[in-house]
Amino acid sequence: MSHGDTIPLHSSAQSDIDEIENLINAAPVLPARPPSPPRASIPISSTPFVPSNIPPPSYAKPAPPAPPPVAPVLPPISSAGATGARMPGISGDGFGSPPNTLTEPVWDTVKRDLSRIVSNLKLVVFPNPYREDPGKALRDWDLWGPFFFIVFLGLTLSWSASVKKSEVFAVAFAVLAAGAIILTLNVLLLGGHIIFFQSLSLLGYCLFPLDVGALICLLKNNVILKIIVVSITLAWSSWAAYPFMSAAVGPRRKALALYPVFLMYISVGFLIIAID
Amino acid sequence: MERIQPPVENYANPKTCFFHVLFKAAALAFYILSALFFNSFVIIFVVTVLLAALDFWVVKNVSGRILVGLRWWNEINEQGESVWKFECLDQESLARMNKKDSWLFWWTLYITAVAWIFLGIFSLIRFQADYLLVVGVCLSLSVANIVGFTKCRKDAKKQFQQFAAQTIATRFSSTLQSAFSVV
Repeated sequence: MSHGDTIPLHSSAQSDIDEIENLINAAPVLPARPPSPPRASIPISSTPFVPSNIPPPSYAKPAPPAPPPVAPVLPPISSAGATGARMPGISGDGFGSPPNTLTEPVWDTVKRDLSRIVSNLKLVVFPNPYREDPGKALRDWDLWGPFFFIVFLGLTLSWSASVKKSEVFAVAFAVLAAGAIILTLNVLLLGGHIIFFQSLSLLGYCLFPLDVGALICLLKNNVILKIIVVSITLAWSSWAAYPFMSAAVGPRRKALALYPVFLMYISVGFLIIAID
Repeated sequence: MERIQPPVENYANPKTCFFHVLFKAAALAFYILSALFFNSFVIIFVVTVLLAALDFWVVKNVSGRILVGLRWWNEINEQGESVWKFECLDQESLARMNKKDSWLFWWTLYITAVAWIFLGIFSLIRFQADYLLVVGVCLSLSVANIVGFTKCRKDAKKQFQQFAAQTIATRFSSTLQSAFSVV
């Protein structure tokens, strides 16, 4: 009678409990992070409770963060920052979590941004031809450097000009800024893979040699010297911009992407030579 | 004073609030008053844009963190894609933030943007294209900060809701588990 048909109550209850436990263990699924988005959109990936160690790049828009003149102003803030960091509830190192960029003292932020500017400058202006992936240059872009270089170039040109100084400055600034944006759009429209702000940042940093050239031309007014200096600095700028731009587009479109860059730098060079 | 109803406590971070307002006010004041003193567009442009840029940095990196506990930035990840990151303090600390500080923070952001829009309209009316350039740059900086912090605040709210839902779910399942283990 009790061979196989009747199952003892004891083991059926046990198997039911096992089933329910499996369900419970499978149920709480952590909320999924939004998948990394296609290139065109701007994804929102947030880390509220997990402090991030990644140094935050500067910002979203064409403009700069912290220049050295801010340094004397900031020490009074740093004490406010430090006291703010000790407010109750803000995660501190004492709780075992890694340092939060939300609560770091202000001086750390300044130092981090400054060191980023310097490292970006070194990366771009002294390019290493044997670098393994030129497209990785300026991964953590910032726009302070380009801002300073464009303004400096505008100021130098404006200083050298004997008439219409303000127009020279405005034209130089607008041409360089708009030129950088249009060049970036050009690469994007050619189907290249670059990030908008990374490219703006790169084109701005590559103006550094031309800045040096413009400064030298300001100091010495000899035409032959100007031509030589501008040619050298122009070649340097183009050499700095070339690897990044060419890595971004496919091989058949390299010339289409690079030609406008050279054109812009050559026209800036002419502007430096011709101004008087 | 009743119409605006600012909160009653004092500022918790007076120095930060001061700097938060300082650069904005300096940029606006310099732009408006400089026409009286300086003849040169170059100086006006450079100083105004520099002050606006300093203000952008201070708001984004300092006063945003200290006054409202939010931070946003952009990164490029390993695949070469651009990712916007938002960070905020946990919910208790956010609730403990000084209301007056955050009131000042948000209102000065909005008022500055509106002021730059007005100045832009004036320079449009007067057909001064180069001053429009200055206003354009300053306006885009203000708007960038507003957009960034608003997105960050919304994202923080969403995260809190998700966290709350997850907490309820885990509590519920652990209650179930303990109920069954008693049997």
